[in-house]
Amino acid sequence: MLLTLAFRNLWRNRRRTLLTLSAMVVSAALLILALGVFSGMFRDMLASATEQYYGHLVLAHADYHERRDLFAHLDENIASRYLPSDNTAITGVSPRLRSFGLISLAETSQPVEVLGIIPAREQQVTSLQTKLIAGGYPADEAGNGALIGQGLARRLRVRTGDEMVFVTQAADGSIGNDLLIVTGIFATGDSRNDNNLVLAPLKWVQQILVLPGRIHEVAMTLADPMLAAPTADRLNPHLPDNVAILDWGDLLPEMREVIAAYDVSRMIIVTILYLATGLGILNTFFMSVMERTREFGILMAQGMRPWTIRSLILLETCILGCIALAIGLTCGAAMTLYMQQVGVDLAEYITPVTYAGGTILPRLHAVFEAGNFFVPAGMLLLVSLLAGFLPANRAARLDPVQAVREV
Amino acid sequence: MNTEYAARILSTLLLTSVLLLSALPAFALDVEALIRQVEQQYMGASSRALSSMQVKTSHWDRSLEMEAWSLDRDYFLVRIIEPAKERDVATLKRYREVWNYLPKVDRVIKVPPSMMGGSWMGSHITNDDLVKANHIEKDYNLRLIEETETDFIVECLPKTDAAVVWGKIIYKINKTPQVPVRVDYYDEEMVRVREIHFDDVQQIGDRIVPMRLTVLPLEKPDEQTILHYRKLVFDLPIDETYFSLRNLKKP
Repeated sequence: MLLTLAFRNLWRNRRRTLLTLSAMVVSAALLILALGVFSGMFRDMLASATEQYYGHLVLAHADYHERRDLFAHLDENIASRYLPSDNTAITGVSPRLRSFGLISLAETSQPVEVLGIIPAREQQVTSLQTKLIAGGYPADEAGNGALIGQGLARRLRVRTGDEMVFVTQAADGSIGNDLLIVTGIFATGDSRNDNNLVLAPLKWVQQILVLPGRIHEVAMTLADPMLAAPTADRLNPHLPDNVAILDWGDLLPEMREVIAAYDVSRMIIVTILYLATGLGILNTFFMSVMERTREFGILMAQGMRPWTIRSLILLETCILGCIALAIGLTCGAAMTLYMQQVGVDLAEYITPVTYAGGTILPRLHAVFEAGNFFVPAGMLLLVSLLAGFLPANRAARLDPVQAVREV
Repeated sequence: MNTEYAARILSTLLLTSVLLLSALPAFALDVEALIRQVEQQYMGASSRALSSMQVKTSHWDRSLEMEAWSLDRDYFLVRIIEPAKERDVATLKRYREVWNYLPKVDRVIKVPPSMMGGSWMGSHITNDDLVKANHIEKDYNLRLIEETETDFIVECLPKTDAAVVWGKIIYKINKTPQVPVRVDYYDEEMVRVREIHFDDVQQIGDRIVPMRLTVLPLEKPDEQTILHYRKLVFDLPIDETYFSLRNLKKP
């Protein structure tokens, strides 16, 4: 009975209710969209840092994590030897050997980082294959092909098929040197990778460093990057003492803080926006309660208890909130879906920005994240109830005798 | 204070400093010649040397046989003979530039400034040592700080505008024969980081030179590089055309 009454009351002043409803719907929908785009931006940043270079987990010798010591190398089969094989959470495992040296070409030389990789394995971990602007990964696992960054290619003025000389200090003290042939060029937007990174076959790097069968690290990807830290904690006890797995949060502490800060700023944005919406709802219901003072007086005179009056009004705001929520969530989800599928390309107006170890791409692109729906939805219901509480209290405290006399 | 008095003080000060300054070169010349003689003991006007180098580090032990040519203090060419794997790897120094020849890829590569502090052929000698050792008296102010019965001790402090790697160098030089005994290198925090010891003194032609030098990096007590001259010939008929990039490539 109360529910029907509440529904009827809501539609008595249709225009006012619809206006309030639309304010609630628009704020909820836009909020969901904005949060989706924010999440998209952070996802891009995290992806640029992890999927372009680190991976979500990195297994290495403790000394290697600390100072990239050339001599802190491990057996190339360490991952399959120590890590449990039934790990479905790990979607990619790539052994790597790293060498810092010079790429020389006639008169110019550039300091570079050469990452020895197995192309098929590396593609499970990083996504450079989706950032190619020419050629691709070296096809021959034992050859001397190289995938290099766009900035480096520009500085050296090389194209695919060109030869370069790589020179470094090998692990036996000799000058490690050999020819590399450019097989592909990538452009990530992250200047550090684009200007310095060279990917070459693992066997080639092992041979040049005189470290046969050795690697420096194993990079891994997970189905859910947010589970990196617990996964690392779970795997570490399986490893020898001097070997440790670090998650992306350890490798990129700034990124972890950015994401933690995002959770806080999401609450702040939601609070500010809903404060305004909440005042709108409050206004509507105060008006509606004032108008119905006489009516409440009559209801009370006929024997309706004050708590029933209170529930009636709270029910009204609650219904309004639920309707707004249903429409708002649907609209928000639809807009998020559009931004996820299509997005807005800003490449014409701005260039990529590297921040906290990740790159913010010049695009607006949304992702679905449960928190971006739950937080606005929960807050909207809470705000509706809070905004209904004051008018409901006022109505419940009316003195029937005086209320009936009100015009 | 009246101006006349001030002027007199000023002129006295000026005169004193002029006297001091003019006295300095006469004294410094002696030390400069001494250091130059030490730094060029293996070179002469020109030289050819056969030497072996033993490098011991915590990561590798290497033994190299090398042949080297030099002219004045500005030209230097060294080529590896042994081991076979590194045969014909060569380094050329011309004035302040260093090139490496890598036979495996048949390329000559100029050592960029960022790599000058790097190890030369995996030893405890850096590329900078090759370039800068011969300019000690140009880049540093030299001072005889002690003279004992047998030795001179000379302190070298970098000149203010010199781009140098050491904060201080101390030479200990034997008087007769006049050969270096030891050189200590200090970093910018004045911590002694490297020593070079000289021994096996021999007469080569009309010169007396220590045939073996040992480089000790003090931060790594287990490591050392020993450079042993087997054969040393001075005053060869070669000129600077010998020290060309083309000759660097051609054994």
